[in-house]
Amino acid sequence: MRTSAIQAEDLRKTYITTRGVFRREHVERAALQGVDLEIARGELFGLLGPNGAGKTTIVKIFTTLLLPTSGAARILGLDVVKDPWAIRKRIGFVFGGERGLYWRLSGLDNLRYFADLYQIPPDVSRRRIAELLEILDLKGREKDKVEGYSRGMKQRLHLARGLLNAPEILFLDEPTIGLDPVGARELRVLVRKLASEGTTVFLTTHYMQEADEICDRIAVIKKGEIVALGTPGSIKTRVEEQGVVEFEAEGVPDERIRALRALEAVTTVIVDDRELSQVVTIHCSRPGEIAAILATLLDGIAVRKVSVREPTLEDAYVLLVSG
Amino acid sequence: MKYLRVMLRAFEMSMKMRVINAFWYLSWLVFPLIFSVLGLILLSPAGSSRSAYAILGGGLIAYWGMAYLEGGNNIQDERWSGTLEQLMGCPTPIAFVVIGKLASSLAVGILAFLPGIALAYFGFHQSLHHIDPIPFAVSFAVLTFSFFCTAMALAPVYTLWRWAFALTNGFEIGLYVICGFMFPIAQLPGWLQVMASALAPSWATRSLYAATGQSNGRDYLLWWAVSIALSCAYLFCGWLGFRLVDVRARVSGQLALA
Amino acid sequence: MNALRIFVRTCWFQYLAMFNWATPIGYVSYKLLLPISQILFMTELGTFATGRSNALYFALGNALQLTAINGIFGVISTVGNERQFGTLPILLASPANRLVTFVGRAFVHVLDGMAGVVVGLALATVMFGLDLSHANLGLLAACVVIISLSTAGLGLMFGSLSLIMRDVFFIANAAYYLLLVFCGINFPVDRLPVWAQVISNALPLTRGVQAARDAVAGGGLSQMASLLSGELAVGLVYAVIGYALFIWLENQARRGGLQEAY
Repeated sequence: MRTSAIQAEDLRKTYITTRGVFRREHVERAALQGVDLEIARGELFGLLGPNGAGKTTIVKIFTTLLLPTSGAARILGLDVVKDPWAIRKRIGFVFGGERGLYWRLSGLDNLRYFADLYQIPPDVSRRRIAELLEILDLKGREKDKVEGYSRGMKQRLHLARGLLNAPEILFLDEPTIGLDPVGARELRVLVRKLASEGTTVFLTTHYMQEADEICDRIAVIKKGEIVALGTPGSIKTRVEEQGVVEFEAEGVPDERIRALRALEAVTTVIVDDRELSQVVTIHCSRPGEIAAILATLLDGIAVRKVSVREPTLEDAYVLLVSG
Repeated sequence: MKYLRVMLRAFEMSMKMRVINAFWYLSWLVFPLIFSVLGLILLSPAGSSRSAYAILGGGLIAYWGMAYLEGGNNIQDERWSGTLEQLMGCPTPIAFVVIGKLASSLAVGILAFLPGIALAYFGFHQSLHHIDPIPFAVSFAVLTFSFFCTAMALAPVYTLWRWAFALTNGFEIGLYVICGFMFPIAQLPGWLQVMASALAPSWATRSLYAATGQSNGRDYLLWWAVSIALSCAYLFCGWLGFRLVDVRARVSGQLALA
Repeated sequence: MNALRIFVRTCWFQYLAMFNWATPIGYVSYKLLLPISQILFMTELGTFATGRSNALYFALGNALQLTAINGIFGVISTVGNERQFGTLPILLASPANRLVTFVGRAFVHVLDGMAGVVVGLALATVMFGLDLSHANLGLLAACVVIISLSTAGLGLMFGSLSLIMRDVFFIANAAYYLLLVFCGINFPVDRLPVWAQVISNALPLTRGVQAARDAVAGGGLSQMASLLSGELAVGLVYAVIGYALFIWLENQARRGGLQEAY
């Protein structure tokens, strides 16, 4: 029986930082509070969560860049603490963003350099680099300095670097952030293709649509703990019984929002303040009923649009992380 | 073989990034010229018995500067450019990258002697008349090895303790004093001479100047042996330091932080 | 009073935000270690060349030159780092008085530079026995103030230049060490060729250091008046050039002609 690609058992990580100059105070921050995960080979797995939830911490532990405080993590059966060198040969990771590349060098030089660091034989790396430049639409620009690349090109170069060693597992930390919709879609297509060819992909993302579209399973993390784990469909069933009533109004007083929250059928109320109005989203168990009493509850307030809709994965996520 | 390839590639990368970096010209051209001018104006009236310190001193200062600044900051440079995590996540120990980059700093650092020598000859009509070529060459090699080992020891120190670079930066000119780059250590107070004796470069510098006829002593074998022994000790400390960097970086999660 | 308070607070924030050594360790390093190192190195080099009896000449000259740590490094980084940190567009889009903003960059560094010279003189006393018992202390203090102002003027000019050039510290480092060659710090300026003396006379510190040496020897104001006024004038010229460059830069940037500014 094949080992799982990724296993985490009661994974915990606490950061210790110091404050002050002369009287130093040590502050502990628990970034992960007992994470259990098992991801099969070939799976395309998504990790969602708000900023500071622990997504990047998990990725860094899995990619051997960070040691856990306690618990265990195994990548392809190898322990992240005891066998980091063996793991590094078989995985790739892409953190993306503007940093992580040598700006004053060309894309080609960057790839050659990392190919050597990944101990790829020269004849293999030459072929591999040529293939990746073609697949990632960087051919023709590989000799230009990275500082002249667009954000999308830098992201594709990051991905090329992450794929140099034909990794068995690819870790992607928010890979589409900062990309335009076309670039983001192209990246998602590529990620799906990689997964279909047998590469295990572990990605973190903010974008629900992205996770819904491409992931086999997703986990939602909040304050260092996994609060939901399953297929996108199964996560949506958490809010199946729920509906969403949304309305737009001008100047809804706080006491009316409190009154809404106090209703028995209401799970959460989220207020989005816009320039001239507010958009209020109500997650509730009997949306029809709630919509009907809105007129009474909001008497005297100029209400524009009212809609009732089925919950999306985003609604489920919002419910999970804000409850 | 795979690690040799990494070192060669790091050497190549470092060279490519250096030639477009203005600071490099400061290191091998401007600094040696400034110190050579100072040395030549002060020392050439004292005659050729002292002028070797002026002719070579500027180059030594710059050579050392490239080793400890570029070499010692190798890891920190990666952190500042945001590539440190990528390097630490590779299956190749970062020490081999540092070796390659440091080798390129030292190879190019030899250029730093040219401005001083040229200025001395064309501007002040001074040159090195009394070189013993074999002791000079060996002393230079021992000096290079001492710079290499010192930089390898400093690289993890600067990464682990960010304040260490600030301290050595402030004390940089003090190191020129106790390494004897532009005047003999023998003229320093006793307590400074004791400090100098713990530095591998100071023994190598002593032998280098002896080979230009600047010293009455010619205890080359002793000086080389002490310099090499101290250098090896630094290298061992550097090896320990790199291991500590790996563990500490993975505990604190601060690889990405500049 | 309120305007003064705001000015002082703004200067302080600029100093803390932009000056690379405004941390405890950095401050100790550049306020203590660098002066000790420089005075020790130059004095030992000088005595190797000319004999122990001249040690104080080198110690005093280098102690005075220490004001350039703030005047050059400090002011350049406080101006130039706006570009590096990406705050230059925000500054240029603000209603802040440009002259006040510009001058404010140097304000704390002038004070800090003076403190640096005091530290240097103390070190020269401890390390090499500098004797100030016969010095005209009032005039010496005036010299210290004036050379701090004049080097800050040079720093302001370089700082403005650094807004359109990369590699700020290339300029800072080169300028700082070139002062050691041209300004009579380690040997009288007349040891230099004529063309170099022209440069010396155009730089800050040259006149001020000579005046300070005269003050340490007990000289009076009549001896030093022209040197001090010349020193102030040099610093003012550089500051004016720097300010003009700063304003020109802003106009160019607004016209879209200076992408480098951002």
